[in-house]
Amino acid sequence: MRTLHVEGNTWAHRLPARGKLLGLAAFSVALFLTHDILLLGLAVAVAGAVHLGVGLSPAEAFRRLRPVFVTIVMVALFSLLFNPLREAAVTVLRLTALVLFAATVTATTAVAAFIDETTALARPFERLGLFQAADVGLAIGLVIRFVPEILDRHRAIQEAHAARGLKARWTTTLVPLIILTLRDADTVAAAIDARGIRRH
Amino acid sequence: MNADHRVPDLNIRFENAGVSYGARVALHPLSLTLGERRVAVIGLNGSGKTTFARMINGLAQPTTGRVLVDGLDTAADAKAVLGRVGFIFQSPQNQIILPVVRDDIGFGLKSRGLNKAAIEAAVDGVLDRFGVRDLGSRRAHELSGGELQIAALCSVLVTGPNVLILDEPTNQLDLRNRALVERTIAGLSESVIVISHDLELISDFERVLVFDRGRIVADAPAAEAIARYREIAA
Repeated sequence: MRTLHVEGNTWAHRLPARGKLLGLAAFSVALFLTHDILLLGLAVAVAGAVHLGVGLSPAEAFRRLRPVFVTIVMVALFSLLFNPLREAAVTVLRLTALVLFAATVTATTAVAAFIDETTALARPFERLGLFQAADVGLAIGLVIRFVPEILDRHRAIQEAHAARGLKARWTTTLVPLIILTLRDADTVAAAIDARGIRRH
Repeated sequence: MNADHRVPDLNIRFENAGVSYGARVALHPLSLTLGERRVAVIGLNGSGKTTFARMINGLAQPTTGRVLVDGLDTAADAKAVLGRVGFIFQSPQNQIILPVVRDDIGFGLKSRGLNKAAIEAAVDGVLDRFGVRDLGSRRAHELSGGELQIAALCSVLVTGPNVLILDEPTNQLDLRNRALVERTIAGLSESVIVISHDLELISDFERVLVFDRGRIVADAPAAEAIARYREIAA
């Protein structure tokens, strides 16, 4: 099981998980309150610098975020179809800054701390009878835990295509990826039940 | 959270319990009692072994009859049964939720309302039991297959079950890791039910159930049951 967490002792690692999550939430809101390209560009530069300070090489940082960057480019191209260039640029800058900051929080926060903090932050909603706070924490922890696994699985399917001399296309990789992911998700769900992690 | 909580005489009872999925019968209704310390379940792929084992801790519910663990119905008293029956899956990497072994072992105790110090003590206790304290600080993806099995075992045993079900515990392990897992299983004080194709692993078990097409076709000491299994597989 690989993880998105990066071992280290930088200032970002030392910040409390709750502070990072609340900071990320505030930063996200702030990004959507401005349309100033210069300000958003500055946010991207700061977010990029902070992200590179967590102990990843630029190549590794880019490799980890490449799928998200591809998605952002697709969103930008779609935005260009209906909006002026400036609007598309605002979208790209906003999402890029957001992704870089979120990736920094993910890289510097252990999954266990994520689960503990999101569970604690969800407690008020549990008191309102909306959902179980522990389930929210567990769900977020599982998402973070599974992202590298799904990417590994996708790579394995691509290699299986290559081994058979086939070109890997999303039309032929998506279905096996979904099937494998759902099958493992069943096992993980059974393991969670068997270990008594959800006791309500 | 330790061995003191274990009930010494475990009793698992199948009362005409079977599982069907529509017209397909996964396990024909069967009645038996398991009380031995070491029970193995063998059979060809798709013969009903795993369904049988999953019924013991309530992961699979009978569509006919019932299964009782120490008198507790696996359907009606599911939570209590889960506390008594631990389950190690075929792929331990899917059982380990958190990246760091120590965090993962303690994770199953958080929902029990224990404070941090009690969780830490329980985690240390179970790691020390197998002499693998150093495993605690390691990341699960760095572990060998055998170490991964031990980590999964610790994550289950820390909750103090009376009986442990291991599904193919030596599957895909090299000889060294297989020996590590075999030694560990042999040293367990809990009752153990092992599902396996590894006939050497279960060769000294007190009782071996042989499954074929959803039925038990042999229920005997290891040597006799393995001979019967070889006949079926031939």
